[in-house]
Amino acid sequence: MNVIRDVWQSIVRRDPLSTDKGKSELVFLNLWLHIHPAKVKKEHLKIKHTWYLGFITFFLFLILVTTGVALMCYYRPQSPQAYQDMKDLQFVVFLGRFLRNMHRWSAHGMVVCVFLHMCRVFYTGSYKKPRQFNWVVGVFLFLLTLGLSFTGYLLPWDQLAFWAITVGTNIGSYAPLVGKQLRELLLGGHSVGESALLRFYVLHVAVLPSAVILLTMVHFWRVRKDGGLSRPVWKLKQDQAEALVTIGVPGDAPALTVTTAAKDKTYGLMEVVTGKPIFETVTAEEEEDVVFSYPYAFFREAVALMATVTTIMALSLVWSAPLEELANPAKTPNPAKAPWYFLGLQELVSHSALLGGVVAPALMVLALMAVPYFDTNPSRRPADRKWAIRVFTIFVAINIVLIIVGTFFRGPGWALVPPWVHIVAGAE
Amino acid sequence: MKRRSFLSWGAAGFVTLWSAVGVSLAAVVRFLTPSVFYEPPQAFKIGNPADFPFGPPTFLADEKIYVFRERDKGFAVASAVCTHLGCTVAYFPSDQKFHCPCHGSVFVSDGSVQHGPAPRGLEWFEVTLARDGQLNVDKEKVVPPAYRLMV
Amino acid sequence: MERRTPQVFFVLSLLALVLILAAAWQANTPYWKVYQRDFHKLEAQGEPNSLTKAAVLASPPVIHQVLLTGLQRVDRCTTCHLGVEDPTMKNAPQPFRFHPGLGPHIPSKFGCTICHGGQGLATEKSDAHGNVMFWQTPLLAKDYIRASCGRCHKEGDVPGVPELTEGRHLFETQGCRGCHKLNGVGGSIGPDLTTEGASHRAPEWLERHFLTPNAVSAGSAMPNFHFTKEQARALTYYMLSLTSEDMGSYYSSVRLIPSAGHGRQLFIEKNCIACHNVGGVGAKTGPDLLGVTKRHSPGWLDEQLVNPSLVYPGSTMPVYDLETNARKALVNFMATATAEDAQAILSQRSKTLTPEDAAIEAGRQNFARFGCVGCHGLQLQGGVPNPNAQGGEVPSLLHASDDYTKDEVIAIIRNGKVPPTEDRSKPAPPLYMPSWRSVLTEEDINRVADYLWSLQKKKDSW
Repeated sequence: MNVIRDVWQSIVRRDPLSTDKGKSELVFLNLWLHIHPAKVKKEHLKIKHTWYLGFITFFLFLILVTTGVALMCYYRPQSPQAYQDMKDLQFVVFLGRFLRNMHRWSAHGMVVCVFLHMCRVFYTGSYKKPRQFNWVVGVFLFLLTLGLSFTGYLLPWDQLAFWAITVGTNIGSYAPLVGKQLRELLLGGHSVGESALLRFYVLHVAVLPSAVILLTMVHFWRVRKDGGLSRPVWKLKQDQAEALVTIGVPGDAPALTVTTAAKDKTYGLMEVVTGKPIFETVTAEEEEDVVFSYPYAFFREAVALMATVTTIMALSLVWSAPLEELANPAKTPNPAKAPWYFLGLQELVSHSALLGGVVAPALMVLALMAVPYFDTNPSRRPADRKWAIRVFTIFVAINIVLIIVGTFFRGPGWALVPPWVHIVAGAE
Repeated sequence: MKRRSFLSWGAAGFVTLWSAVGVSLAAVVRFLTPSVFYEPPQAFKIGNPADFPFGPPTFLADEKIYVFRERDKGFAVASAVCTHLGCTVAYFPSDQKFHCPCHGSVFVSDGSVQHGPAPRGLEWFEVTLARDGQLNVDKEKVVPPAYRLMV
Repeated sequence: MERRTPQVFFVLSLLALVLILAAAWQANTPYWKVYQRDFHKLEAQGEPNSLTKAAVLASPPVIHQVLLTGLQRVDRCTTCHLGVEDPTMKNAPQPFRFHPGLGPHIPSKFGCTICHGGQGLATEKSDAHGNVMFWQTPLLAKDYIRASCGRCHKEGDVPGVPELTEGRHLFETQGCRGCHKLNGVGGSIGPDLTTEGASHRAPEWLERHFLTPNAVSAGSAMPNFHFTKEQARALTYYMLSLTSEDMGSYYSSVRLIPSAGHGRQLFIEKNCIACHNVGGVGAKTGPDLLGVTKRHSPGWLDEQLVNPSLVYPGSTMPVYDLETNARKALVNFMATATAEDAQAILSQRSKTLTPEDAAIEAGRQNFARFGCVGCHGLQLQGGVPNPNAQGGEVPSLLHASDDYTKDEVIAIIRNGKVPPTEDRSKPAPPLYMPSWRSVLTEEDINRVADYLWSLQKKKDSW
């Protein structure tokens, strides 16, 4: 028994979890958990503030990586083998269909959750000082998510994939000067073909996931350094709010003094060097609102994880990912649609190629990145940010409406057709 | 009391979670086990007995086998895979022996090693007559060199 | 609230466990396993030895598949259709019944979907039989399965499938190539038919289309040829057999050898002796074919048969659109051809052709093959309606030499002609004379003109 205990102790190297020391050591002696603080404020855990959307996005990414690696064992990025491999997953590989479904639904879910997470961060004003740049990192992660989704869309090599990517890459080719070259670079040719399939595969399984992992690390690390998860600071009691060290305002903030450190508290190096902190710090007055991360924060995260996993599993049992007929470059389906998250763009492109396909999306991305630098209003209280919220809501609504129109209201020839009108495709 | 129940529910959750992970891992092993093979099947038909001549054995390159047909003795099928490191051996009618191109093993016509690094003689496979009258070879079934199918 | 978090965690973990077990159960109980168990029971029935019986019953479930590597096909039909090659199963219930009458076409070598259609990769009945969205070649209806023979047997009579021969004959004589391209030869007014058999059109659609083109394809420019039901069926068979997949050469590469006998049949069919001779027997327009396989390599001859003028500049030999196997068969025949055999072939024909006759005959064949008859009629009588053209129909060619000089006619064939519109307020006439420059060589065009004039001569002599 002693041996077992010794081995276990050599692995965890912490005091029992019944002790406060053990609870702290669980966090900061563990590589995977130490991104958390040992203690968190109760408001950090409020579901109705963050909706755990960042966590859910991350968990979806984890599902995507695991199922993706499994699927790679049965996938050859060649035509027509790629399509045959999809059929094999469907018909002969044990759990093949289930894993493919999980991968597909997680991918859609991740696009949705990244977007919702962005909305949440905006509405709670969480991108404000000192978190401006983390918002920009987040925008890049959003673009990478779209890129992963888009590159993955081609891999089944069916008609849906082939023409969605043909349309999608053509939207990009309207960019002035570089558009055509970019498309050629991406496709490795003038049209979607074998070399495009291979390049999309490389992007999908190596380049883009690595980029997402790196940026996610930066994103998480900054969240932690900037004071942890977002919380509704404007709801704090007046005295609590005042007790907060002014958030990241160089110049006005009182320098930390050693008097704070007198209260039996352990401080890291960054907190005892003289100078002005640019991050939120815990002051002694808040101690009563603080709980240990274990078990409170961890169980909530575990619940978010399990809720995500079970939802995706349940969906994958019931609904199968689409697979149309083998890609046929000679026969364009009517209408040929890009993946749903690009249908807003396709809708814009149908009105003006340059404006809709290039100028509008470029401006959108730039505007998103510029948000924290233009919105200099320091308050995070919704009542103080009526205009910012209105403008952003309109932006979100326009995007959603465009996607809905593109998805449900566009029929053959991109004609406006309501979804309840059934179109009988004319005999050729 | 409250605290205890908190943690015991949590422990039950972890046990269930890890069993789910265990089942998933087993499922992944099953997922990775191929249920179809994109390679020549191990048991296959090679044609009608009359298709094969008497005399030197017929080499079937795709199946990597030699088909022997001898008057009054019948059919026998030898593996063309060297038992040393898997190269394909060649039959020389001139000396009636199998020569391995890789490391020089030589097998006499009953498959046993004459010299060279090969540890064992060439394998002989079961050949049977299928119901449709064709010869059926099963590489999964190894038979002694004396095995013959009379047709 | 706090206390409930671990409870929720437990419940969700349990749910995850249940879901993964459900998924595994679902994946582990495909219906083909039930079929295999039933089949083993059926096999064990007649088994006297109890040990063998137990072994048969205990056989583990496996997916059977036929790999047709060269055709990019995988057929898993035999996973359920376990008795197709087993004659003792001839009275077994489906899906286990023996498939009689296959001859050399054993399913384990040939697969199933090349003849039957359906989704070979599938292991569920509804998916496999192809009655699902996005699988465009469902099982062929019983009436049309024999059309699949023509996917490999592209030349000569296919025993038991007279429809194919009839269909091919109609195609080459009714002028289909006037509007439709097949393997690169033909007009461009209608769709290219090279891969029509893989176009996923239902056979019933094709058949109705041949009977009344406008009925299934509104506004079709295809004239109504007033085919009989049998002719429409024959043409449908022929269309279904046209796939781009080179199945014939795949199977010949694995087991079939093109025979010299087939080549001889082609030699007669294509009327090679109208230009060529063997050891001096036959016409002298083209070279003597005796020993030609010794003078040239098989590869050279094959190329020559694909496109004569590419290999031998200035060759006047027409392009024949021969399928790979047919070319091989012809080469095999030429290796064995003798003067006596040529004599026998010649004597089967009603008369010996003079070179002039041979040229006129070639012109007549061009006229039929390239679709002139489609508009101008088999007897050159014209009369196909062409609304709003002068006269309202395609002109007869019986009096061509009265109205035009030979050079003018050659120019019209070469460059095409748009018929003058009668009423400018109405749509232009749908039919026009296409330019044949890219399809026919000058030599071929001259032969067609010779043929037209030869008819003229006959009429004068009456």
